[in-house]
Amino acid sequence: MSVNVSRRQFFKVCAAGMGGSSLAALGFAPTAALAEVREFKLLRTTETRNTCTYCSVGCGIIMYGLGDGAKNAHAEIVHIEGDADHPVNRGTLCPKGAALLDFVHAPSRLKYPEVRMPGSSEWKRISWDEALDRIAGHMKEDRDRNFEAKNAEGATVNRWLTTGVLAASAASNETGYITHKVVRSLGILGFDNQARV
Amino acid sequence: MSQRTITDGSAGGRIAEIPHLRPVQAGVFAERAERLQQLARSGAWQPYLRWAAALSAAQHTALRGAPALPRPSEDVLAHCFEHAMPPLSPEGHPRNSLWRTMLYDMLRAVDTAALPPAANSSVEALLHSEDARLEAAADALLAGAFTEVDAAQAPFVAAALQVYWAKLALQIGGPVGVPIATRLCPLCGSHPVASVVRIDGAAYGLRYLVCSLCATEWHMVRVKCSACASTKGISYLGIDGGGDAVKAECCDECHTYLKIFYLEKETSAVPAADDLATLALDMLVDEEGYHRVGPNLLFVPGAA
Repeated sequence: MSVNVSRRQFFKVCAAGMGGSSLAALGFAPTAALAEVREFKLLRTTETRNTCTYCSVGCGIIMYGLGDGAKNAHAEIVHIEGDADHPVNRGTLCPKGAALLDFVHAPSRLKYPEVRMPGSSEWKRISWDEALDRIAGHMKEDRDRNFEAKNAEGATVNRWLTTGVLAASAASNETGYITHKVVRSLGILGFDNQARV
Repeated sequence: MSQRTITDGSAGGRIAEIPHLRPVQAGVFAERAERLQQLARSGAWQPYLRWAAALSAAQHTALRGAPALPRPSEDVLAHCFEHAMPPLSPEGHPRNSLWRTMLYDMLRAVDTAALPPAANSSVEALLHSEDARLEAAADALLAGAFTEVDAAQAPFVAAALQVYWAKLALQIGGPVGVPIATRLCPLCGSHPVASVVRIDGAAYGLRYLVCSLCATEWHMVRVKCSACASTKGISYLGIDGGGDAVKAECCDECHTYLKIFYLEKETSAVPAADDLATLALDMLVDEEGYHRVGPNLLFVPGAA
């Protein structure tokens, strides 16, 4: 048996090949079908794996998107469901996870840093630089005032009890490691990776 | 506390294992025939789908009447299991001449009223064909050399081979070793015809590839290329306004695609049958430069 053809080539189903296909050979005219094809247009969508942001259980989700990621194309997430392949949740989601789509499209969703100054009732948009400087300034001021190097018995404790940190629930091991290093080296004892608490 | 197990395979209070294999069922061809009948009620492909329905119904008759086939030896099965190789691979499995008996049974069962004259003469020609010619045609089809076989006879020969391999698969059942390459059937090593996202019990939301030859289904993680296993650059092409039940899962890493059917969107879809009713999608996706991963043996494409 001599077979010197590419298999893949002959799985090719295309308009130009219809005339030589089994469909035509069996006596079915492909004309009507081919005319139908010319009326159709393709629509590209995506399915993207992610981890639910709500809590540290870390359920797998699949997000359905419109648009092909091209620069000027309109892109939108149209549906979110549990990832059945994910070992943690096998496709299931809690009520909060099941409502993720509304979370994504919420008009009140936080998209940039904002600040509400003391005495003000208004939220004001600020830049990331301003936000980070402001947070760092507050942290330094508080740490300078409240850091305890030694406790009442004179033992070294190097702790800072007046500030806590909330990090992301969907963080990876690596992010968790870095978070831990930064927070603990400042002397902070209270921190958690549970966005829902 | 006692554990409550629900009979559909899912379970209360625990995460169910992913069922790796879905063995072929005895009614596989009847299911296809019924769906093809349904699909043949409308659209531009009507006469062709009616023929495919008649052929699938004949496949069912042939499978129901099929004699028991000699199993691969226990040694071969154990060896394949140990090394995760497909025990029924056409290259390794000595095809028994009983497949020709199945072919004749199938050809005699075809409802010729549903066929155009060209198809009827194919049936006649095959019934009187020499054994050696049939064996050569089978060899070529199983090797993917479709152009070496008369395009009007190929689907009938391929359909009989499907019956033969489905019968073998039914006899073997499971289990087989977890395959080395999930892109090929773990039982017979053939390419998938399409993939399907199931909705029943423990398989809810899981994607299975459907074997183009023996109809066994095997699990493959979703949003992953079924040819090169890439998870990067996967997108889904569907016909605009044509519903969400079928899309072409396209890979920009290796430029291939395989259709994926979502049963949640169309509960009566049968991948191997619906594939034939959605050849328009193939043609459009081909124009985008993607190559199809696996064949539908009831449709032999012409060279372009």
